[in-house]
Amino acid sequence: MMERAMALTEEHLRGPAAGAMGLIDLLKPSKGRAVAQVPAKLETAEPTDAGKPLIELRNVSKTFGTVKALQDLEVSIRPGELVTVVGPSGCGKSTLFNILAGLEEPDPGNVLRHKGISSVASDLLGKVSFMPQRDLLLPWRNVIDNAILALEIEGMPRGEARKQAMAMLPEFGLAGFEAQYPNQLSGGMRQRVALMRTFLFKRDLMLLDEPFGALDALTRTMMQRWLLDVWQNHKRTVLFITHDVDEAIFLGDRVLVMTARPGRVKLEQAVDLPRPRKADIVTSPEFIALKKTLLEAIEEESMKSFQVAGY
Amino acid sequence: MSGSIAYAANLSVTPAGRIYAAVKPILWLAVGLFAVEVLVMAFEIRPYYLPRPSAIASGIMATPGAYLAGLWRTFLETALGFLAGSVFGVVMAVVFHRWLALKELFFPLFIVSQTIPVIAFGAVVVLWFGNTLFAKAVISFYISFLPVTVNTLLGFSSVDPRQVQLMRSFGARDGQILRRLYLPAALPQLFVALKLASSLALVGAIVGEWFGDTTGLGVLLLQAMYNENVVGIWATIVVSACLGMGLYSLVSFAERKIVFWGGEQ
Ligand SMILES: Nc1ncnc2c1ncn2[C@@H]1O[C@H](COP(=O)(O)OP(=O)(O)O)[C@@H](O)[C@H]1O
Ligand SMILES: [Mg+2]
Repeated sequence: MMERAMALTEEHLRGPAAGAMGLIDLLKPSKGRAVAQVPAKLETAEPTDAGKPLIELRNVSKTFGTVKALQDLEVSIRPGELVTVVGPSGCGKSTLFNILAGLEEPDPGNVLRHKGISSVASDLLGKVSFMPQRDLLLPWRNVIDNAILALEIEGMPRGEARKQAMAMLPEFGLAGFEAQYPNQLSGGMRQRVALMRTFLFKRDLMLLDEPFGALDALTRTMMQRWLLDVWQNHKRTVLFITHDVDEAIFLGDRVLVMTARPGRVKLEQAVDLPRPRKADIVTSPEFIALKKTLLEAIEEESMKSFQVAGY
Repeated sequence: MSGSIAYAANLSVTPAGRIYAAVKPILWLAVGLFAVEVLVMAFEIRPYYLPRPSAIASGIMATPGAYLAGLWRTFLETALGFLAGSVFGVVMAVVFHRWLALKELFFPLFIVSQTIPVIAFGAVVVLWFGNTLFAKAVISFYISFLPVTVNTLLGFSSVDPRQVQLMRSFGARDGQILRRLYLPAALPQLFVALKLASSLALVGAIVGEWFGDTTGLGVLLLQAMYNENVVGIWATIVVSACLGMGLYSLVSFAERKIVFWGGEQ
């Protein structure tokens, strides 16, 4: 309840002028809202050299003891894309992210290219901005100091890092909360602090692991719209894990559906819905058609993982 | 422990409540002392077993200089040993955390070192370092570092591995992860040990003084015992208790200031 009220006021206060959709606008029928707010730089956010992937994985497998988490995974992400990943739980989505963040080495025999250069996973340490499934804020650091953690590790002086973070607070709906500690924040706000920490760590590739998974439905919808705005302003390449098909379609340029464990890409679905995406796009026939295709694919895999589990 | 803090925090909401919270322990102490005084008189307990609190008080007031000098000396020994033990304890925890092989090699030795009774060890220390303040501080140090090491290691092990992975994904080096994650995360556990260590360090200093010295609370205690000065014994006990409680409160105060985020983790 608290959280909801909070988010409402913030969104409301920010309004359309801030380059984001205010809550009032979101609740109104969509006509006459979106077009005026499209930032001029939107066109440049489109991948310019679509032929050259930013990151490319081939034959990537990962085995934990006897558990085969990933098998012969192939993924290729172009610069500026927002690619969403869905799949049954336990299919290796987080494992894929750990590999891309440089935290796990895939089994030998893989191909991993970062900006066209052949690499091992650990080369990616410090090169990818990674937001794990949980916010993982440090309880002894306030909002601003949690947000600058990655910058501090890079060696940026605290004063300067704080200045950068302060400037970003309003965009993340955290203005005035810089001195609060994580235990004083609602779940939605904690998640935004974690997102801000990820955005401040400016890297070509951003990995978001179910960032909105723990939020209530209303907050989540607002965060999705907000994320699209922020993404368009900051022009980042994003890989986004979710278990929510609507979210995957609403946000993504492409949706990757993964198979049950061992995880592979089962289906790669382009989402040709126009951007900026309006709130009511979820009821359009194109959206529904996409959703149907994806749900069928996911259903099939979920059934498999159920049978594997012996149900 | 945390319950009493929460209780105090609740009380401090109003100014009147804050004053009551501050005065409350003193009030209860006064009530307790008065009760003992009455009991001793009512049951005619001989001073040999338990002197009246008022007699103990006047015993202290008769030679305040001696007690103050003893208090100061024992305080210095305790503080020195406690600080050295705490720093050493944390450093050893970091070393054991960083180099697991060293932990496997030396940690059992740490435990064994604590099974040697302080008394036996104390004689050797006094032989080595003479009847100095330093020798007493060494004994204090010796019995206070282990809980610090053990609890700091416990605190390190409470760190969420995903948190470590996150920092590594930012490109953090081991030293940065230690300073920004492991050490702060261990603070709640560390303070539990520091409170214990402050009491242990005082025991070490007092026992150390029994091996021979000219000032200190331990010396006063021995002298009073030899002279069968019961009031003197009790007076020294009271002064030692005050020192012990003072040190403990100081550490608790630092804990509340530093570990403000509490047990949330
Ligand atoms: N470090 C690890 N050690 C052992 N098994 C792991 C480890 N990480 C993941 N797994 C296993 O790999 C599989 C995929 O996990 P994960 O990538 O977290 O799935 P998802 O994020 O898609 O739910 C699971 O069966 C999980 O138990
Ligand atoms: Mg996961």
